[in-house]
Amino acid sequence: MSAEEKSLVDRCRQGDDDAWREFVDRFGQKVYSIAYHFTLNREDAEEVSQEIFLKTFENLHRFDGSFPLVAWLLSLSRNLCIDRYRRRKREKAFRFVSDDAVLPLLKSDDDPASETLKKERTKLLFWALAEIPEDLAEILVLRDLDGLAYEEIGKALDLPDGTVKSRLFRARAEVARRIRERHEKRGSAGAFQSLALAAGGVL
Amino acid sequence: MSCGELERLFLAGASGEDGRRHTKGCPTCRALAADVEATEQMSAGMQAPPLSPALRSKLLAIPRATVSCEGAERLLSLAIEKELGAEDERRLASHLSRCAACSEAAAVLFTSRELADPIAPPWLASRLTAARPRREKRLWAWILDPKAAIGLAYGAAVVVMLLGFNPADLARRVRAGDIGQNTRAAVTVAESSLSDRLGALQEKVARTFAVWKGRAGGYGRAAVSNAVSLIWKSSGTKDRSSERPRNRDGRGAFREKDTTTVNWRA
Repeated sequence: MSAEEKSLVDRCRQGDDDAWREFVDRFGQKVYSIAYHFTLNREDAEEVSQEIFLKTFENLHRFDGSFPLVAWLLSLSRNLCIDRYRRRKREKAFRFVSDDAVLPLLKSDDDPASETLKKERTKLLFWALAEIPEDLAEILVLRDLDGLAYEEIGKALDLPDGTVKSRLFRARAEVARRIRERHEKRGSAGAFQSLALAAGGVL
Repeated sequence: MSCGELERLFLAGASGEDGRRHTKGCPTCRALAADVEATEQMSAGMQAPPLSPALRSKLLAIPRATVSCEGAERLLSLAIEKELGAEDERRLASHLSRCAACSEAAAVLFTSRELADPIAPPWLASRLTAARPRREKRLWAWILDPKAAIGLAYGAAVVVMLLGFNPADLARRVRAGDIGQNTRAAVTVAESSLSDRLGALQEKVARTFAVWKGRAGGYGRAAVSNAVSLIWKSSGTKDRSSERPRNRDGRGAFREKDTTTVNWRA
């Protein structure tokens, strides 16, 4: 936590418009990105970002400088993101991740073949994330998709670093298991289908 | 026992006393039983071919060469964090090259690190900046507010105009000649005009006040006398014994002296 962050927050508290603009410019993209990973929808991500910044502004006086600013922002906004995530998870369409939802996550410099492959893998990743427990999915999103440090995640979720690490490992193992099982199921279904086709051809 | 029944018993592994009696009498079945016995003895004495030391060492090396699917899950996490040793990296690579399911899982997990950040729409920053709730304004902020200053200026101008001071006169005089003379003249005019107007305003206020005072007093007195007369009338109508006798049609004659006139006007 730098003194510069504390001074920025203090200036925001005093009603300095320039300081608030700087705050938005510095953290707006990050917050939007996190919100998008939890909602996978542009409108929802915008709405959540606005709510997060509103809540942040109302709680600026609580910032004592003991946290990294981004972790503090996350700790305030965690419930908002998780609520949206749960709401989205309850929706029937959650497991069917659309192409439009993953398009903003693909780099524009990918060639068409690798873009298609990456799109499918990204859809599979979000499908698997919806299958595993929320507390594990949350950590995986923050670490692997948003690139936060263990310390930042720990502060944001109020967990020791060791717990963050072990949960992250479990999350990845769970995701890998879900994908493996899906692959095996699909493989056996495919084999059965080809057997049935062969039998049909013979008969 | 027939030959077919004995064959079924043989295949089931239990021929019994009936079977032995049948084989004594049946040469075909006796030959069959002898063949079965000879085959059993031969297979009992047979030995499995020995495992070659080279194959054994290869089999023993499997856990060091590759990893199970469950083990791959653990190693994948370390690989993503770039904390994997060289030997484990080889084991994982070996497993991934042979297991399509784990290979797909690994590709998906590594993809999570390669995704781009979704770009926030350009209007979001301005919306986030505007989303900040307004703080309550303090008194000095109201005073320094340009809108409030303009409002105050307009208010002052209106008051001056109402009092009869016409800035256009002053401007005309300034344009006409010497600024100093005209300024003094304008101030004199303004002063006399202001005092005249103030006197007139005072007089008007006093007159208006007197008129309203009279009206209020009149209405008040009228209201009181109306109330008194109503009370008096209502109490008078109750006692019918004091009334003079009526005509046969019940209406009775009206005489001036029986009535009371209440003068309620002040």
